[in-house]
Amino acid sequence: MRIELDRPRCEGHGLCEEAAPDLMHLDDYSDLVIDVPEVEGEALERARAAVRACPVAALRLV
Amino acid sequence: MATPPRNIVVVGNGIAGLTAADTLRAGGFDGDLTIVGAEGRPAYSRPALSKALLRSDADLASHELPPPDHGATELLGRAAAALDPGRRVLMLDDGSELGYDGLVIASGSRARRLGTLPDELVLRTLDDAMRLRERITSRPDLVVVGGGPLGMEVASGALQAGCRVTLVTNEPPMERQLGTHLGETITETALARGLTLIVTPAARVVDRGGRSVAELADGRLIEADLLLTAVGDIPNTEWLAGSGLPSGGALPVDSRGRLRPDIVAAGDVAAVPTAAGHARSPIWHSAIEQARVAAAALLRGDASSELHARPYFWTEQFDLDLRVAGRTPLVGEPEVIDGDVGAPEGPALLRWRHDDGTATAVALNYRIPIPRLRRLCEASAVV
Repeated sequence: MRIELDRPRCEGHGLCEEAAPDLMHLDDYSDLVIDVPEVEGEALERARAAVRACPVAALRLV
Repeated sequence: MATPPRNIVVVGNGIAGLTAADTLRAGGFDGDLTIVGAEGRPAYSRPALSKALLRSDADLASHELPPPDHGATELLGRAAAALDPGRRVLMLDDGSELGYDGLVIASGSRARRLGTLPDELVLRTLDDAMRLRERITSRPDLVVVGGGPLGMEVASGALQAGCRVTLVTNEPPMERQLGTHLGETITETALARGLTLIVTPAARVVDRGGRSVAELADGRLIEADLLLTAVGDIPNTEWLAGSGLPSGGALPVDSRGRLRPDIVAAGDVAAVPTAAGHARSPIWHSAIEQARVAAAALLRGDASSELHARPYFWTEQFDLDLRVAGRTPLVGEPEVIDGDVGAPEGPALLRWRHDDGTATAVALNYRIPIPRLRRLCEASAVV
């Protein structure tokens, strides 16, 4: 599956990075960078946790 | 636990219940999973209700969460009514019974009210938020009772919507959470934006001719078109009466979220062990942390990880954006890591050091990746 970011929604709380630091990170300007958009297997579970942790629902798995 | 559970029931469809269900599936649980949610709607983001959703230009979907993919049977619009932990049976308010061999209690909390009349508004659920949003469009005069983050966010949103807002509080706004330094900064900013503030030792809400009215300690009444109270929340545990588990207060869990090997609790309903005894941490991020730990404990018992709480919360009020990593309350003056001390509204990066070697870092109108903000909380942290 693919991680999609709704950038205008992102407020930079970083709870997604905490759940899946190997898949995404906030850059120096607090903008989220999806490092690994296509995920499967165990990475998919971490991506799900990242999507779930976002309080502004800025991430989706499609 | 001798045998892993095959039939787990989650009471509560908020972020704690949802995270518990997700974590169970991610941890390999492929048995029967049932979620009971008292509100007859999908889970939503509670932090959004008093922030984005109150803005006049709000995206009315800002509280919506991605749909669940845990594959649980969802029983929405039904509440837990009683529990028999000996028989491992949960009774619902429609009279039906659910057996389980693992139970997650995430029944949340509800707004504490100061009065008895239905016109006293609170902000806890999505329905509450939509009602408030609709009511403030006609720009009524509003009295908010409560000077914590929720009361201040509502006051800020209503002011921005064009209401005249009076905030009544028994201590200076935000000081119990963030100390005098930030409390004073926030208060000055709120006053400059037009908030009327009344600090009174013991505000009450009284019935005057069938209407809820705020009454100050000196007996003065503060009349307005609308009254909203934001004075804390009460854990939903009355349904556990007679179960042998604690009821009528928070559920004190162990370091893995357990009340018993087969029953865990997480979120606003749970009190977790801290250095100062069991305490609730009714914020979004704590609910997620606790639910992950509790779900893992249900599956793997003592082999699972203990809770290492890393509190984080944020508030948006009066054009101030505050992000707080580390524990509260904050006492004394901060160390200014970056920013201009002469500009009270920031941007500033502040830190309070605690006696135990940890610290709390606050970003005030300051853009910083939150993982970096968190690192400032760790002992001997350097920028």
